[in-house]
Amino acid sequence: MGRRPLAVYASVLLAAVLPTLSTTDALAQTPKRGGVLRIADREAPNLDPHLSVSFLTHSWSSMVYSQLVRFPHGPEQKHPADFTIVPDLAEKWEYKNPTTLVFTLRKGVKFHNKPPVNGREVTADDVKYSVERFMAKSGFRSRLEPVQSVDVVDRYTVRMTLKEPYAPLLNHLANAAYVVILPREVEDKLKDFNRPEAMIGTGPFMVKAYQKGVQIAFERNPDYFMKDLPYLDGVVIEITPDSTARLSLLRAGKVDLGHMWGYLVPEEAKSLKQTNPEMVMTPTLTIGQGMIYMRTDQPPFNDIRVRRAMSLAIDRKAWNDSIHYGEGCIDAGPVPCAMKEWKLEASKLDPAKAKYLIGYDPTEARQLLAQAGYGQGLTVPMFHWPGYAPPWRTNYDLAADNLGKIGITVEFKPEEYGKYISTTYLGKYDKMAMGPITPFSEVDDWLYSAFFPEQPNNRSHVADAELNKMLLAQRREMDPKKRLAIVHDIQRYLVDKAYYVYVPHPPQYITHAPHVKGMKYKDGFGLGPRLMFTWLDR
Amino acid sequence: MRQYVLRRLALAVPTLVLVSVIVFSIMRLMPGDVVIRMVEGHAYAPTVDALRKELGLDRPAHVQYLEWVGGILLRGDFGSSYWTRQPIWDEFIRRFPVTLELAALTILTSVSIGILVGIVSAVRQDTASDYVGRILAILALSVPYFGLAVLVVVLPAIYFKWTPLWTYVAFTADPIENLKIMSIPALVFGVTRAGPIMRIMRSALLEVLRQDYIRTAWSKGLPERAIVLRHALKNALIPVVSLVGLQTPLYIGGSVIIEAIFRLPGVGLFFFEALTRLDYPVVQSVNLIVAAMVVGLNLVIDLSYAFLDPRIRYR
Repeated sequence: MGRRPLAVYASVLLAAVLPTLSTTDALAQTPKRGGVLRIADREAPNLDPHLSVSFLTHSWSSMVYSQLVRFPHGPEQKHPADFTIVPDLAEKWEYKNPTTLVFTLRKGVKFHNKPPVNGREVTADDVKYSVERFMAKSGFRSRLEPVQSVDVVDRYTVRMTLKEPYAPLLNHLANAAYVVILPREVEDKLKDFNRPEAMIGTGPFMVKAYQKGVQIAFERNPDYFMKDLPYLDGVVIEITPDSTARLSLLRAGKVDLGHMWGYLVPEEAKSLKQTNPEMVMTPTLTIGQGMIYMRTDQPPFNDIRVRRAMSLAIDRKAWNDSIHYGEGCIDAGPVPCAMKEWKLEASKLDPAKAKYLIGYDPTEARQLLAQAGYGQGLTVPMFHWPGYAPPWRTNYDLAADNLGKIGITVEFKPEEYGKYISTTYLGKYDKMAMGPITPFSEVDDWLYSAFFPEQPNNRSHVADAELNKMLLAQRREMDPKKRLAIVHDIQRYLVDKAYYVYVPHPPQYITHAPHVKGMKYKDGFGLGPRLMFTWLDR
Repeated sequence: MRQYVLRRLALAVPTLVLVSVIVFSIMRLMPGDVVIRMVEGHAYAPTVDALRKELGLDRPAHVQYLEWVGGILLRGDFGSSYWTRQPIWDEFIRRFPVTLELAALTILTSVSIGILVGIVSAVRQDTASDYVGRILAILALSVPYFGLAVLVVVLPAIYFKWTPLWTYVAFTADPIENLKIMSIPALVFGVTRAGPIMRIMRSALLEVLRQDYIRTAWSKGLPERAIVLRHALKNALIPVVSLVGLQTPLYIGGSVIIEAIFRLPGVGLFFFEALTRLDYPVVQSVNLIVAAMVVGLNLVIDLSYAFLDPRIRYR
C-alpha cells in the first residue's frame, strides 16, 4: 500500500472520531452488562501502589482502588487530555483559604468484601492513613511536598493544610499514579500491600486470581458506589512481555486489546489493518513529547544563537510527513499538543519569535552559527537510548541529518537503558542528548519540572531568573483563570529561548477488537475508570 | 569413584565463589543505577537517598557482597527482589519446573532429531540422504532460535489468524494442555539445537564405524542394524553426551528469550525481567543457583561416561 492511500485512509479515520459523531454513536447504542475483556500486556513489578512508580502497577491498582478525586473518563470526558477534577471518594471539596482544603467523603462507600477488611465503610481515617503513607513512602512523594498535615475532622471530613498555596494539588490527587486510598488494617494484618489478597479497595473491580507471570483476573465489584457500573463482569490481563507476541494475540483474536491502553504506533496499526480490517482504530494525539536537550549552562549551548540555530535546522513539516504520515503534531512544546486547556499554540504567538520554536530556516540557522563563532561548523555528541519504540531510531537519524545540513555534525552516543535513565535522562550528560519524556497530567510538570533549577527533569539545565518567578507564581496562583494567564505568559516568554528543541510528536492508534464498546482513550494511568465505562457487544 | 566425586565437589567450591564474585561485580559494573531506574524521571534527591538506604545500597560493595553470600551460607536466604520485594528462592522454586520442563523437552527434541539424522547421515555417507541431513544441520545451526521463535509466533497470526500462544497451565494441573503449550517452544528451540548434535553424531559414528571391532562384527556376519545400533552407537554417543552436557547452560540461557516470547512463566522470564530492571539480587542469586546446577550436572555427565564406556575409570 502506497503512502497516499494511507494518508487518505487516516484522514477518514480521523473524521470518524469527531466528537459530534462519537456522541451520536454512543446514543445509538445502549451499554450491555456482562462479558470478560481480555488484554495482553506486561506484568506489574509490584502490587503496592505507593511503593512502586511503575505505570504498570498503577494501571492495575486503578482497577481496584479509588482516590479522593479523579479525572473524567468515558462519557464524562471532553477529550483525552481532559483533566477536570471529578468526585471519587470525596463527593465535594472546598478551599477554606489558599492553604486549607477540606474534603467531604461519600457516605456508605464500602471496601471489597474480603478479609481482613470485610466490606467496612471508608472513613476519614483511611484517607489520612493513605495520604501520610504516600508522603512517607512513595517515589512520587515530592508531588505532595507542600502538604503540611492531614487531619480527620470527623468520620467523613478530612482537612489538608498546606505550607503554601499549591495549585497543582488537586490534579496530583486525581492522578491514579499517586494517592490511592488503602484500608489501613491491611498493613497490620497482612504485613504489606504487595500481594494479591491485599489488593482490597473501593474501585470498580476486585482481584479474582493472580498467577504470577501468567495472568491476573479481575471481577466486577458488585458493591461499587457508582450505580450500574462497571458494565463488564471481569477483565483478564494475559501477561505478555514481548510486544510482537502481544500483537499476534490481538491478530489471532485471543485478546481484545493488545496493550492496556490500546496503543499502537502508526506503522503497527497500518500493518494490522491489512490483516485485520475489522479492528477499531482511533488515531489519538496522546500527551507526550520528544526533544533535543542541551547543556545550556555550558558552551556552545549557553549561546542563544546556537540554540536558535538548532531549532531552525529542524524541518518539522517534512519530518512529520515522512515518518508520522503527516498525522503528528509539530508544535510539540513546551506544553504538549494534547494538553489543550493549557497550550498556547505557536500560531497565536508573535511569528517573529515563534519561528525559533517551530520554524524551519537553514539559511538563518547558518548565519546565527557564524555570528556565534561557529561559521566552520561544530561537532556535538548526542546521548540517547536506541531502544525506545519506533519511530525513535528514525528520530535520532533525522535530527542528525537536519543538524548536519547547517554544519552541526552529530556524533551518536548510544547508551544502555539503565545508564541512560539514571544519567542522561536526569540531565547528567555532556553537551547534547535526545529522547522522549514521561507523559505527565499536570502542566506544572511540563513547566516547573522542566525549567526550574535543580529539578531532576530540568535536562537542559535552565536557570533563568525571570522565568523562575513565573514558574513559582503559576504554582501558587489558586485562581484557575489567573493561573492560565501566567502559564500562557510562560509560553510567550519561552517561545524564542530554544532551551529545548522539540520534534514532531506522532499519534497513537488506539486499537481494539470491534466488539469492545465505550472505551474512550484517556491520558494518564487510570485503567480502572476507563474500563468501568467499557462494555462488550457480542 | 567416591574419592573422585568428593574431589570434584571440592573443586566446585572455588568455581562457585568465583561465579558469585563475577556476577556480583558485573551487575554493579553495568552502567546505570537501580535506584534511579526504580524512580525513573522522579529522581528527587530525598527519595533517591531514602530508597538507596532502604535497599542497603548505601553501604560499601564488600559489605553488600558478604551479606549476600552470608545470607545464603548461614540462613539459606538468597535475598529478595528490589522490585517485587519477594524472596528470590521461593520465586525460583515456583518457576523452576517450567524451565526444567522446557529444557527437558528441548533436549529430547534436539537429541532425537540430532541422533536420528546423524546416524542416517553417517551410515548412508555421501548419499542424497547424507547431503539433505547435512544441509538441514547447517540450516539449524545458522537460524537463530529467537528469530525462528518470533516467526512462529508472528507469521501464523498474520496469515491464519492463529498463534501458538496460550495461557500457561502447569503440567500437574492439566498434562495435555500443558504439553500443547510447551511443545511448540520446545520444538523451535530443539530444532535449532539439533544441528550441532547431528554433526557430532555423524562424525563420531563415522570414526567408530572404521574401527577394528566393527570390522570384526561385520566379519561375524552381524546384520547392519545390530552393528550400528548395538556396537557402534554406544561408543559414538560419548562426544554427543559431552556436547549435550556442554549445551545445558545454553538451554537455560536460551529459555530467557524463549520464555519471554512464548509467555512461559519460568526462571528465564524471571531473569530477563530482573536484568532489564537491574534487579541485582535476583540476577546474582539466579546466576549462582544455575551455576551450581551446571556444576552438578557436569559431574553427572562425567559419571555417565563409565556407563557408556566401561574402559573409563575414575581415580
